[in-house]
Amino acid sequence: MTALVLAALGVLLVLPAVLPSYALTVFTFTFFYAYLGQAWNLLGGYAGQLSVGHAAFVGIGAYTSAMLAREAGLTPWLGMFVGGALAAVLGAVIGYLGFRFGLRGFYFVLLTVAFAEVCRIAALNTEAIGGALGLYITFTGNPRQFQFQDPRAYYYIALGLVLAATAVTALVERRRFGIYLTAIREDEGAAEAAGVPTFRYKMLAMVASSFLAGLGGTFYAFYLFSLQPNTVFGIPLSVEIVIRPIVGGAGTLLGPIVGSFILSPLAELSRYAFAAGGWSGAHLIVYGVLLVVVVLFFPQGAVPWLRRLLGRAQP
Amino acid sequence: MAVGLTLIFGVMRVVNFAHGDMMVWGMYLAWLLATRLGLDPYVGFVVCAAALFLLGLAVQRGLVEPILDAPHEMQILLMLGVALVLENAALLIFGPEPQRVRSPLTLSTLWLGPLFVDVARLVTFAVAVVLAAALSLFLFRTDLGRAIRAAADNTYGALVIGVDVRRVYMVAFGIGAACVGAAGALTAPFLPFQPSFGLSASVTSFNIVIIGGMGSLLGAFVGGLLVSVAESLGAVFLSSSLKELVSFSLLIAILLLRPAGLFGRRP
Amino acid sequence: MGTPLSRRTFLAATAATLTAAGPRPLRAQPKTVKIGAVHPVTGALAEIGQACRLGAQMAVDAVNAAGGIKSLGGARLELVLGDTENKPDVARAEAERVIAAGAQILTGAFHSGQTAAMIPVAQQKRVPFLIDISAADPLTANVAESVRKGEQKVQYVYRNFPTTRMFGQRAVQYMTELFKDAGVQPKRVVLIYTNDLFGQTQARQFQAAVREKNPGFEIVEAIPFPENATDLSTEVSRLKALRPDIVAPVTRATTAILLLQELHKQRVDYLGVISPGTPGLYEAGQIAQLKELIEHVMDCVPWPNFKNPRTRQMAEEYARRSGGKTFDTNSGYSYEAILIIADVLERARSTDPEAVVDAIRKTNLKDPLMVAAGPIMFNEIGDNPNASTAMIQILGQKPVVVWPREAAEQKYVFPRPKR
Repeated sequence: MTALVLAALGVLLVLPAVLPSYALTVFTFTFFYAYLGQAWNLLGGYAGQLSVGHAAFVGIGAYTSAMLAREAGLTPWLGMFVGGALAAVLGAVIGYLGFRFGLRGFYFVLLTVAFAEVCRIAALNTEAIGGALGLYITFTGNPRQFQFQDPRAYYYIALGLVLAATAVTALVERRRFGIYLTAIREDEGAAEAAGVPTFRYKMLAMVASSFLAGLGGTFYAFYLFSLQPNTVFGIPLSVEIVIRPIVGGAGTLLGPIVGSFILSPLAELSRYAFAAGGWSGAHLIVYGVLLVVVVLFFPQGAVPWLRRLLGRAQP
Repeated sequence: MAVGLTLIFGVMRVVNFAHGDMMVWGMYLAWLLATRLGLDPYVGFVVCAAALFLLGLAVQRGLVEPILDAPHEMQILLMLGVALVLENAALLIFGPEPQRVRSPLTLSTLWLGPLFVDVARLVTFAVAVVLAAALSLFLFRTDLGRAIRAAADNTYGALVIGVDVRRVYMVAFGIGAACVGAAGALTAPFLPFQPSFGLSASVTSFNIVIIGGMGSLLGAFVGGLLVSVAESLGAVFLSSSLKELVSFSLLIAILLLRPAGLFGRRP
Repeated sequence: MGTPLSRRTFLAATAATLTAAGPRPLRAQPKTVKIGAVHPVTGALAEIGQACRLGAQMAVDAVNAAGGIKSLGGARLELVLGDTENKPDVARAEAERVIAAGAQILTGAFHSGQTAAMIPVAQQKRVPFLIDISAADPLTANVAESVRKGEQKVQYVYRNFPTTRMFGQRAVQYMTELFKDAGVQPKRVVLIYTNDLFGQTQARQFQAAVREKNPGFEIVEAIPFPENATDLSTEVSRLKALRPDIVAPVTRATTAILLLQELHKQRVDYLGVISPGTPGLYEAGQIAQLKELIEHVMDCVPWPNFKNPRTRQMAEEYARRSGGKTFDTNSGYSYEAILIIADVLERARSTDPEAVVDAIRKTNLKDPLMVAAGPIMFNEIGDNPNASTAMIQILGQKPVVVWPREAAEQKYVFPRPKR
């Protein structure tokens, strides 16, 4: 498995030399969503606290660094950490309320959705950050402003983000932190009884997860050059973030990446296949059907299934 | 006057992401019946409910049942897939234009001095009350209804006392979908709709169901009333665009203080 | 035709013969120029996106039927279709995809946020981008600014659509002129708007223009409502209590239906519904839904100029190909964008990006299809200063231009007749 992963990584590093720029874009988005999925995975996968409001963290990170760049001239390279920190603060608030009051399962899902919606509506009604019109970022191609003339730069940054988040997750997985989180997911009552400080560890997972998602917001802002509350705080973005790790295998190290590599190209392919025919909507039907198929046939996600397959191949 | 609408949302008890889109299908069916056969939606809703009942059965039987034992999040994902298919099938078949079902009641109003009552919403409200009462009779007075409640309370307990849980789930899901279908047909006369309406309908119904309490019919009622009153007050005293903020804040407060909803039992 | 052989046709014929005599005589088809047309064809804006797509497709067919781009040897235009799914990230990927599929010029994308996501792609890959519809002022201004500062070398992004600022200004101007002409002076205007990207912008610009021009009426209150509102009864009650002379709505298609129903149900008394610019009040589908409720409603929108015979002809074809829909703002501007591109290519005599940009900057197209204040041209920011709106009114269940007078097809009815 390790050799396979290293080989794949090597290929990804040299790929931009040969790929055309459209394929680079698809890869860049694949990495970016894998990164957000990995951030979600810490909380949703390992700790089992399902959040469908991660767009809120991305949005806060994006708006923060974009506003700092515009109003204070602060380079997004620093602004992204401020954005991450603010996202972590929101994460801490949501986590504190949710965990203190003992919300579980679907109730926690709804709490996160509700907070994301509150952020969205608040942003819509705040003139200072552009209201519904949103923020438009001037394209300069200046690397100091987190902008690049060459799309390969975005590719490597997105790849770097995934690798960093995966390294963090790998570190967590091997430490006591990760073991505690898994224990919480499997049976919170038992973990508590065994002396795991569940509240503290759930909070830690929440803060780390929201901080990482907040960092991702800066990439979003300076790759797409405009921010609107409905797109960066909206439920559809949250859903995009959740889907990938779940398809790949929630709570596994490679799950978000594998999931992203299944879904992103799939979305592109089905869009491509149907765009010409003028069959509006048909590609989303295919996407939906495939989602259902994945759920029905790989209900644990793709990674555990792959692992079993590999295990059988080399007993 | 949003009461009629929100109340119906509340009656759709099983919460999932595909519900909004099922409701949209109910609306389109009502529209087809009205435009092709001249059937008034206040009659046609029965057909819509029946059709959606079958759709619900099929979804439960073919898709949900195989993964009942899988982690909870897989069901959420599955429903997202179903929602995508439903929404875009509607887009493909019916096109993106907003539709409205014409009923003679659509534009009639009753004037009580300076106050006015919207007849379509009033009728919808009344039908919803009747439906909810019937549903509650069914749940509390028939064997199948009791079995559904038993299975919802405690699956293993129900299994132990010999309830056919699979069949019960199927019926429950079917009834949930039928309610949604009826809701769609009943709101279609005063609520213009288009394929993309599904998601916001799902979110609104989450709101109401949680505020009232999952699985509590009375709660769904009161939840619906509360949300619409709070939103109306919000629109009067704050800016109208902030009224959604009011209902989401209410949702957060209720989640924290009474996670089972105002009328639900403790989970 | 019976005309004697002119010098030009003679030369063209000779050139054709010469080409035909080349190494691949029978295969010498005219080459094609691919245009990437990216619109929100699925999702919440699907109806609009599909209208844009059909408008662009019709224009391409018309250009090809007329012999293609003559200065490029009769090159045919071909659309590479893209769908933003109403999401900015998809818009960016689609821009890349259509370029990879050979698009040498881009057009699109209706939603300003999605257009913004496509702009860096155009700038990075040096692909000229003619925005057909998108009103946010910063789109072109931002690019122009970074060129001025030397951060970018060339501006590849241009727009043939009124910006939000122009919308507000024209709305106030037309209202003032029309009231004066009608000899009525409404005093109290209530603005009621959907609190989304478009609604907020329109409302803000309209308010700014009223403040600036001091036109004799005032906006007594601005009432926003959520974009996915399912009920507007509270908002309309509040509006009624303000005793408005004019109701100025900015809506989306579904909320337009809700609003007009509610105004009728609550028997609100007013001189007229006049929007400073909104969708939802003129589409064929909406009129079919709302019937008598939408009669006499006025809207200030970019609109085809039906006094131009070419436009009438296109509208007929559009109705035929779309199953009876109106040739309107969206289909019209997407159509016109392709015509501009054809004109630009004709003058550029090349698809080289710099030559195309150069030709765009020198555009001077007379008789625009849409109601405009003059010929199509592009200023230093990259906008067409003559792009304009028109005041339309639903008369006899059809949208007709009633102001400015030069473009008016019928006389307006204002104040609305009492029922």
